[in-house]
Amino acid sequence: MEKFKVLEIKESIFDNNDKRAELLRAELKQDKLFLLNLMSSPGSGKTTTLVSTINHLKDDLNIGIMEADIDSDVDAHTIANTGTKVIQLHTGGMCHLDAEMTKQGLNGLDAKSLDLVVLENVGNLVCPAEFDTGAVKNAMILSVPEGDDKPLKYPLMFSIVDVLLINKIDTIGVFDFDIAAVEARAKKLNPNIQVIPISARTGEGIEQWADWLHTQVHAWQNH
Amino acid sequence: MHELGVVIEVVKTVSEFAKTHQLQKVDTIVLQIGQLSSMIPKYIEDCYPAAVDGTPLEHTKLAIEVIPAEAICKQCHQIFNILQHQSKCPDCQCEDWGMLSGKEFLIKEVIAY
Ligand SMILES: Nc1nc2c(ncn2[C@@H]2O[C@H](COP(=O)(O)OP(=O)(O)OP(=O)(O)O)[C@@H](O)[C@H]2O)c(=O)[nH]1
Ligand SMILES: [Mg+2]
Ligand SMILES: [Zn+2]
Repeated sequence: MEKFKVLEIKESIFDNNDKRAELLRAELKQDKLFLLNLMSSPGSGKTTTLVSTINHLKDDLNIGIMEADIDSDVDAHTIANTGTKVIQLHTGGMCHLDAEMTKQGLNGLDAKSLDLVVLENVGNLVCPAEFDTGAVKNAMILSVPEGDDKPLKYPLMFSIVDVLLINKIDTIGVFDFDIAAVEARAKKLNPNIQVIPISARTGEGIEQWADWLHTQVHAWQNH
Repeated sequence: MHELGVVIEVVKTVSEFAKTHQLQKVDTIVLQIGQLSSMIPKYIEDCYPAAVDGTPLEHTKLAIEVIPAEAICKQCHQIFNILQHQSKCPDCQCEDWGMLSGKEFLIKEVIAY
């Protein structure tokens, strides 16, 4: 019997992903490409919001979309109908995207000539918050029917995003949802968070959101 | 599942490590998981066989060491277990503390020949 030896590794899986994410961000900077990571629970309105955002910005920016889904391409078809470049990433049962998968997606999209790529992450408020995708900014959508207590239940997600979109505000009369309370709870976790109430259905607030995004893309490309 | 992606990453990292260190066979992978890590040891064990299936690590065992969630109180400097004491310093009841450990997810070592 050969003799065993113990080899120390001491590697943190999260650290490895963080390093890859930093490298990806440096590449994005060189390519003057802005990557937004969009996260939320299933059905909060990511795809609908993307469609109205694309309509607002498509004359000014070259846009691409990456749709991450466990195993379907419904959202990719919806985006393709707007005439925007889109790629479907199948996560094969995984509940989040990491920096490596994001990078492969960007290659598949042939994104180098684009200004803005939005990654629609897997619908989930827990796991995506733990994996830096390499995105320049992180956004999340909380929709009115989900309830205003979500910052209390998913603090990590609210503490890592740069912007919080409160979607489906056209339904606010039907639900017991306090926008000011959400804003206060989110700011307690994350004082710099931007909060923008929108309705992807009626278009309310979309202009303010699109302006925010446009400004971020410019800052990334020019500074 | 939440844990599967991370376990696949572990298998990848260890496979590469085995290649660069020219290990013939990896007998055991030892992980360290913090009590407050979002990774649950039981789920890690459950999806491990699927992650190693068809890889050179197919017969490699998995061992998990749990790292306690410890904090130091910012008022009286008492060190205490966050879970046992419901996130409150057992000495002065203060809730202002700094975490010392408990969020880790590390590949500690491999036992190989
Ligand atoms: N009333 C109302 N409905 C909305 C709004 N935005 C989206 N919806 C509806 O909510 C449902 C889900 O919207 P999607 O855009 O598919 O949500 P999603 O987050 O992309 O969903 P997944 O990709 O499945 O996680 C659809 O029926 C939309 O029409 C809104 O602002 N108001
Ligand atoms: Mg969608
Ligand atoms: Zn104390």
